[in-house]
Formats: sequence, structure tokens, C-alpha cells
Amino acid sequence: MTDTKVHDSSVSGSPEGRVFRPASEAELAQAVERALDYRGDVTLELTSGELVVGYLFNRQTKGAALSIEFFAEDSPAPRVIPCSTIASIAFTGEDTASGKSWEAWASKKESERRADAQRVEEDARARGLL
Amino acid sequence: MAVPVSQMYTVASYVLSKKLKGIKRYPLVLMLEPLFRCNLACAGCGKIQYPDHILDKRLTPEQCWAAAEECGAPIVAVPGGEPLIHPEIGRIVEGLVAQKRYLYVCTNAILLERKLKEFKPSQYLTFSVHMDGLKNEHDLAVCRDGVYEVAVKAIKEALRLGHRVTTNTTLFDDANPDRVRQFFDEMMALGVEGMMISPGYSYQKAPDKQHFLKKAKTQELFSKILSRPKGSWKFNQSPLFLDFLMGKKEYQCTPWGNPTYNVFGWQKPCYLLQEGYAKSFRELLETTEWEDYGTSRNEKCAECMVHCGYEPSAVSDTFGTVSGFVRTAKLTMIPTSR
Repeated sequence: MTDTKVHDSSVSGSPEGRVFRPASEAELAQAVERALDYRGDVTLELTSGELVVGYLFNRQTKGAALSIEFFAEDSPAPRVIPCSTIASIAFTGEDTASGKSWEAWASKKESERRADAQRVEEDARARGLL
Repeated sequence: MAVPVSQMYTVASYVLSKKLKGIKRYPLVLMLEPLFRCNLACAGCGKIQYPDHILDKRLTPEQCWAAAEECGAPIVAVPGGEPLIHPEIGRIVEGLVAQKRYLYVCTNAILLERKLKEFKPSQYLTFSVHMDGLKNEHDLAVCRDGVYEVAVKAIKEALRLGHRVTTNTTLFDDANPDRVRQFFDEMMALGVEGMMISPGYSYQKAPDKQHFLKKAKTQELFSKILSRPKGSWKFNQSPLFLDFLMGKKEYQCTPWGNPTYNVFGWQKPCYLLQEGYAKSFRELLETTEWEDYGTSRNEKCAECMVHCGYEPSAVSDTFGTVSGFVRTAKLTMIPTSR
């Protein structure tokens, strides 16, 4: 698959920052699965030229058409987009899961954990959640 | 007994009626997630890992009530995120109680004391407070100092007002069994109705042997914790599930037993894995490839022993086999006989 972002292909893990321009149905399916696993927003470039930014949360692989369900960042209702209209998928949003596993947390230094905890508490306080 | 007789009767008659009708796949507990926004960021929690516009989405009370009616499970757990953040949580709870479902609001209790006035004590309503251990362990797990004390204060106030209160605890392999036993003593001394425990979920690409070792380690931990149980300990769980945690029982997962509904829809295949969403509960049951999941069927399930998949299996065993029923009855009446 054509991945237009220059990256170190030996590094596995988060696709954050990468752009996939599928050249076949198989590559498209692969890119969609990647986006489905991704815990951040993606930018879809459609064949019409439209760009949509949001969270891909579902895909239909059986039935008349292969399609995805998408919550655009600026719209409350989900949108169904036929996969045949997707020209590229860019992993533009922050990967909110990156480095957040239990194992990653357990391996952090105490000072790093405290800094993370401080940031989370400040954010929650600013949102009025405490 | 930890669970009131009326609740035990409701669950027993529900499960028996399903078995008598020959219904193989039925829900036991609806996992209703009205939002993903939380006021904590507990280590490793995958439930809050979304962009802000997703964290800001909320299920309406009407969507919550409709999901419970459609699913039909006699028990509804309301986790999240933190459900007490939802501005209409009082209405959501009121409507589900009116449906006569046994509701467990799963909360970190930071907002509980402040929000208690929104809830009327009821046999159908329980606050299930997230407590992962004694003060040091809990505050470390939730990544914030002082949360343990806030939660204990809220538990006491909720009990004083006549609410049902349980605790729910997630344990990873590095837990100290003696400290966990001490924690059980403290929680029961507070006066909670019962406790719920579960191993944490982990998934890593690894050879089968490593998965086996991980499971064996989890069973060893729970054996050390649960052997020689004290009479004062009350678990809000199937005794056969605790047997399973200790390695005394083998079960296959029952992912449809605790179906999950949230802002994306009905989650396939279970509470922990997110491999697509269905528009209706019926579509979830009919279109999920259930045979692809469970012990030795899927690498993502290889190390999983979490309650949401295996507690329904244990409950099914209780009402599906004579030995299961007898052992459940024995351990319910005499917990120290384990």
C-alpha cells in the first residue's frame, strides 16, 4: 500500500501521522481495519475531494456495500461513508492510547507518573468534573 | 448473604426460564455506558482513550431505558467513564429502577457524596464503588493521591442514607495477597453489602506457552487471596466464578452474557474488545461471529479471565448442572467451606 508519509518502516506501533492511499480493495480493507483500531481522529479524503475529520468506529463488511461509520468532529450524528469513496486515510489526530497501557505506566518513573497525574487532575478540574 | 434474596430469586427464575425454553444465548447483565468521560485516568484504562468530541458524547435517558428494555437483562451495570458526570444520571437511574432491573452504578465515588441527593434508596439500586486495594494501592492504581479517603467517606455517607453499596476491585499479577485480604477486612468493616473482584484484562501478542503461564500466575494469585476465606467476607459474585479464578474450574467465555451498549451502539463481541457495532441487540446476537472468541479461540482472549465474560458462564453452570448448583448452594451458605 502506498504510505505517503516518510517513516521508519521497521517501527511498528501507532500509525499516528501516517497517510494511507490504498491502491486496491485489499489495501483499503487493511487501512480501514487500522483506522478502526486507532484511538484518535483520522482525516478521510473522499473521491469527491471532500475532507472529513473524525472518529471511525464501525465498518460493514457484509451486505451490498462495504462502508464505514464515522463521527465527524463537528457533527453529533454518525455518518455512513461507502468505502469505495475513500481516496486516503490520514491518521491526523492524537493517538490517545499511545503509551497508555498498564505495562507502559508500570515502567514509568515516579516523577513521570506524578506529572501525568497532575495534568489529568488539572484538566478534570478545568472541565468542572471534580 | 451478599445479594438480597429478591435479587437472587429474580436472576434464578430468569436463567431457569431461559434454560427451560432452550435459549442458548441470553444476556445476564447489560453493561450500559452512558458516557466515556471520566474525572480520573486510571493506569491502563482503555475506556477513556478517545478524542475529546467522543468523550463529550452522552446517551440520553431515553436511549438508556430503551436499551435495557430491548436487551431484557435483569441486571444493569452502569460504568463509563464516570457515570456520575452524566448530567441526567438521576433520571437514567430512576427510569431503570422503574423497570425493576437491579442496577449497579459503577463509580470512583469522587462525586458520590455530592450527588447522593439525586438518588432514592431502593432495593434495585446499588452503588458499586471502584476500590483497587488499601489506600496506597488504590491511589496508585487510579493515579491520584487522596481518592481512597474520598471514596471511603462517600461509602459511609451512602450507607448512612440507606443505599446499597458494594465495591469492585481489579487486581493485576503484582498484587500482594496479604494486603488484598487486609483490604477485604477493611471494606467489610465499612459495612458494604459485598465485594466484586476480577483480574485485569491484558492482551499481548505472545506464544501460547506465555499465555498459559500468565493465566497460571493469575490463578495462583487468586488462590492465595481466596483460600481460607473469612466468614466476614461477602462477595457479590458467583462462588463458581471465584472457583474459576482460583483454577478450580474451567469455563468457556460467554461474551453475550454481559452485552455492552454505548454511544457507538451495541458493541461486538464484548465489554473489552471493540470489533464493530450493531444497531440493535438482536443484530448483535445474530451477526456476531461468537465462535471466533473465547478461550483458545482467539489470541485476544488467551489471557482473559475477566468477570464480564466468565461470570455468566459460572451462573449458567449453577443452573445447568447438579454439581454446579450444589457447590453454589454450599458456598453461598458456608463461604468458609471453600
